[in-house]
Amino acid sequence: MDLSDITRVAASGLRAQSLRMRVVAENLANADSVADTPGGSPYRRKLVVFRPTDEGVAVGGLSTDRAAFPRIYQPGHPAANVQGYVLRPNVNGLVEAADMRAAQRSYEANLNTIEAARSMTARTLDLLK
Amino acid sequence: MSINQVAGVAAYTRMLGGGAPLAPPSSPQDASFGNLVGGMVADAGKSLKAADQATAAQVAGKGDLVDVVTAVSAAELALDTVVAVRDRVVSAYQDIMRMQI
Repeated sequence: MDLSDITRVAASGLRAQSLRMRVVAENLANADSVADTPGGSPYRRKLVVFRPTDEGVAVGGLSTDRAAFPRIYQPGHPAANVQGYVLRPNVNGLVEAADMRAAQRSYEANLNTIEAARSMTARTLDLLK
Repeated sequence: MSINQVAGVAAYTRMLGGGAPLAPPSSPQDASFGNLVGGMVADAGKSLKAADQATAAQVAGKGDLVDVVTAVSAAELALDTVVAVRDRVVSAYQDIMRMQI
């Protein structure tokens, strides 16, 4: 049936975008997670990779952002290296906010698809009444 | 067109038992309204049951909200279709019964 196909495909988009939101939340929650050992690496930003399938979209996997860690001079910090620098997570609040907004818009687009398909089917069924 | 009460009751019983949906009518004799509605009701019953399970899982904190929404909308569509077809055919039947001979 067409409508259930559309709903299934759009639902896969909903799932994918909510996972993206979850990853954004994880990145933001860990925006200050530095290492607790001297010279250790801090939290590395995560990215979602989407993959097209026959049934809509699937999450191809989580990858990590390879951008370099920014560092700040903080010699008293437990994670400071011998030069006194602490590596900070490569999470940028602005980038995360943009990603979050994109996920939100994409989620809404999928919701609108479901709504449009529903109203098309309802109108078709109305022909019988 | 023969509306067979026994077939209707059998279809409802099948639906309550959660059995397999009716096989599509193979010969013209099988293609009665009772069988048609029976098959559709069984399908709708299956979708409603799936929607019910998804909702229960969600309420229990184990399910996915998207699953609930898709299952409920599929069940709603199935039920709406059954009701629309039934209304249409019953009104056609009543028109024939009211016909002046």
